[in-house]
Amino acid sequence: MTGAMVIHAPGPPEVMNWEDIDIGQPRAGEARVRHTAVGINYLDCYYRSGSYPSPKLPLIVGKEAAGVIEAVADDVIGLSIGDRVVYATGEIGAYVEERNIPVEHLIPLPDDIDEVTAAAATLKGLTAEFLVFRSRDILPGNVVLVHAVAGGVGLILCQWLKNLGAIVIGTVSTDEKAEIARSSGCDYAVVYTRENVVSRVKEFTNGKGVSIVFDSVGKDTFFCSLDCLRPLGLMMCFGQSSGPVPPFDIRDLHTRQGLYLTRASMDVHASSQTRRVEMAGRLFDAIRSKAVTIEINQRYALNEAVLAHKDLEARRTTGSSVLLV
Amino acid sequence: MVKAIQIRKTGGPSVMKWQDIDLPAPGPGEVQIKHTYVGLNYIDCYFRTGLYPLPGLPAIIGMEGAGVVEAVGPGVKFFRKGNRVAYAPIQGAYAQKRNVPADRIVKVPKKVTNKEAAALMLKGTTTEYLIRRTYRVKRGDTVLFHAAAGGVGLIACQWLKHLGATVVGTVGSDAKARLAKRHGCDYPINYNKEDFREAVMDLTNGKGVPVVYDSVGKTTFSKSLECLRPRGVMALFGQSSGPVPKFDPNQLAAKGSLFLTRPSLMAYNATRRELETSANALFDVVSSGAVKIKINQTYPLKDAAQAHRDLEGRKTTGSTVFRV
Repeated sequence: MTGAMVIHAPGPPEVMNWEDIDIGQPRAGEARVRHTAVGINYLDCYYRSGSYPSPKLPLIVGKEAAGVIEAVADDVIGLSIGDRVVYATGEIGAYVEERNIPVEHLIPLPDDIDEVTAAAATLKGLTAEFLVFRSRDILPGNVVLVHAVAGGVGLILCQWLKNLGAIVIGTVSTDEKAEIARSSGCDYAVVYTRENVVSRVKEFTNGKGVSIVFDSVGKDTFFCSLDCLRPLGLMMCFGQSSGPVPPFDIRDLHTRQGLYLTRASMDVHASSQTRRVEMAGRLFDAIRSKAVTIEINQRYALNEAVLAHKDLEARRTTGSSVLLV
Repeated sequence: MVKAIQIRKTGGPSVMKWQDIDLPAPGPGEVQIKHTYVGLNYIDCYFRTGLYPLPGLPAIIGMEGAGVVEAVGPGVKFFRKGNRVAYAPIQGAYAQKRNVPADRIVKVPKKVTNKEAAALMLKGTTTEYLIRRTYRVKRGDTVLFHAAAGGVGLIACQWLKHLGATVVGTVGSDAKARLAKRHGCDYPINYNKEDFREAVMDLTNGKGVPVVYDSVGKTTFSKSLECLRPRGVMALFGQSSGPVPKFDPNQLAAKGSLFLTRPSLMAYNATRRELETSANALFDVVSSGAVKIKINQTYPLKDAAQAHRDLEGRKTTGSTVFRV
């Protein structure tokens, strides 16, 4: 039997219960991974609360984890018992001590990348990878805006963008988070709870606006983001922590001078194992060269996931959070 | 005094009157152009009827023209009397002469006539930014272009072929399909007979196209998104069938991290440098013969009302210009 955070009906953090479950043997194409660390992502809250429809009930959330392979199905080649791996794609269900998972999702870990870092960094890091490298080229001197820059993806994005020579403006909710953002290279942190983001962005850019907005906040920031863009700028939505953006009038892109809008998703970018390994390789290189440092600022035991979700939803966390197994 | 077509109130073609107007000497940074030809565009009718707002009344409509510099204002460096020039888009072209900011006009090269320039500037620079900048079309790309037999469409078909692209174009009749084909459209699709999404998917082995150019809007938009491959660009640059209903951005994720843009000529040719680059690229393909413009109707400017009646009555084909 394996310990897991099980949800019987979607709702607030307390709906997650620590229970024993039976996972059985790995089926064809699968390996059993004993988790050492499980990553926490905002996505987990969407599934837990029901804002993303649950594939089935009872439900176990969690998209990413790292650990050690404990068993493999007979047909699996290229991976063996004892291999250290991480994953951040595939069906949800990572808030468990061990699980069976199709090996196409497993990314082998290099010796110098520890499992806690991998669990904290992979989903956010692969997200940052496709946002930075697979949408519009970032050129030195480009001015960009990153919402929630002190968050998990935000801090990785910020560092990677700086490494490419971009000038990063970020939004944060508190002065404490502004300090954290600045220490990750953010050139100008706007505290949106007391400052007007559009005015500050316009001031900082001499009225021109930014080339790209990275927006994972959604409903609350959508029009603010459009107003921060310069002509032909790109609005890159990749999440909706404040709720989904309601349908909007496409002419809003026209009146702001030929803006582009995209809604990037991991499924499209990390669509094959080859791609996933390639993307992770770039992430591990960035971690190794210290272009990107993963700030793991919150650690919880797996059975403290309720507290972890409360902290995340109350915006009390910075950087990445992990559940240790 | 010069003659111009003036509108005192918006409405039908008859609101346009051939009248004397005062034209001051060109101000600082301005040149005075004596038009030889003025272009006619469907957007002129929208301004005439009041569908698109005019800044005030009385007004002179018309977005593009070509002619000769008659006088230059203080501070103008790069133009002198006698230069052959053209421009678009600057409202107020239905006049014998007008003043325009010098930084918004371009010189017309020898191999391009004023008549061609007046017919081409708006539609040609629109095509330029769409296929070279909104999405940079590359040799071997298969692209979908709606309204392929329209004014922009026929220029786009020729230019896209010149760039080495395969063009799938939608049209409203078999006659227009033949017209588009003659202009380089590889696969004209009569949307009254054929499903363009199926045609695109067949032609691309189910992969979809990297870009859709859509000036039709309401009736084509949703199905156009389904024609795109992952990370493809939906370039909505008009709405001849009506505005697209409000749009849920999450659709872009569901259909493969698509990009949606609503471009405009103003946004793309905002600077002097952009305008020159755009016009030069256009003049190059016209000079080389890669892009030809078919001007099937020429009216005297004073007959603008008749020209609008013919355009709105769908009696015109290809491009129409006014002789001044």
